[in-house]
Amino acid sequence: MIDQDLHQWEQGDLSLLETLDHVLNRGLVIAGEITISVANIDLIFVGLNVLLGSVETIHEVLEQRNNTVETALDNPDVVGQ
Amino acid sequence: MNLYAYCLQGASVPVALEGVVGIAGVEAQVIEHEGFVVVVSAFHGEKVPLTRDTVFAHEGVIDHVLAQTTLLPFRFGTIVTRARLESHIRSQKNVLSASLSRVQDCVEMSVKVIWDGDEIRGREIAAVEKQSSHAQEATNKAMGPGAAFLAAKRREILGDEMLKRRADGIAVWLNGRLGNAIKESVVRVQPAEALVIAASYLVKREGLPQYRACLELAQAERRDLRFMTSGPWPPYSFSDLLS
Repeated sequence: MIDQDLHQWEQGDLSLLETLDHVLNRGLVIAGEITISVANIDLIFVGLNVLLGSVETIHEVLEQRNNTVETALDNPDVVGQ
Repeated sequence: MNLYAYCLQGASVPVALEGVVGIAGVEAQVIEHEGFVVVVSAFHGEKVPLTRDTVFAHEGVIDHVLAQTTLLPFRFGTIVTRARLESHIRSQKNVLSASLSRVQDCVEMSVKVIWDGDEIRGREIAAVEKQSSHAQEATNKAMGPGAAFLAAKRREILGDEMLKRRADGIAVWLNGRLGNAIKESVVRVQPAEALVIAASYLVKREGLPQYRACLELAQAERRDLRFMTSGPWPPYSFSDLLS
């Protein structure tokens, strides 16, 4: 169940990152008419700079999440905390 | 009142937008001006918050239109008054027409290539050094600290050059493999990064099966590389002529 959830989470966030990579960087521009508020940037799990910079970092974060889940499974006490 | 702009297309193909909701849950509508149609929604405020919902709302409206016709997508966060938008269209009419012709019946496909640059750099340098190892060994032993520093610097530069050649080679190889399946490409090569190639390809809608087949063959050919592929996208990378 956890594996399945993780898989869905991974796909969803990679999809978000790919979308951000396209919609923030490129597209038709009317000079001076782009105003974005980044107050809710925490919704993007690895941060704006990372998504613009490196897919490798995304994989590292996913791997870390993976390890955390595995640790939790190995140690039921952690799950309970 | 401001407008949030999603995309621009020619007025010749009517666009159905009934029930399509965009940023802030406001229904999308069209504005016609000078032979162009711009999809917008009413927007109260100065800034668009960057959230998962707003990003997908922006992309959702554009995807809906993309399914119906050729378009130029606006960059996320474009807020304009109607007067400013119309003035922009009037002043850029020819450029916009040319841009629309360029992407006519096309979508954007994205390919990101990931490699282990450090490992490749190390392997390449080792191969070169092996060729001249004996002569170099004697020289290295007699080196002072200054000469050793310069030798290390030389190796670093050599490594960078090799990496760049390799990265450029991958970009050329990929373009070659995709061949006639693509109309245009925008390729960013970053030899120093793990994400070595970030490529966007303009592909005719009818050519998508051929593109996918070519890409599949290319991926099978280079198992040493990791590929992240996505699409079809609106032609974002081929719409920023005015930036």
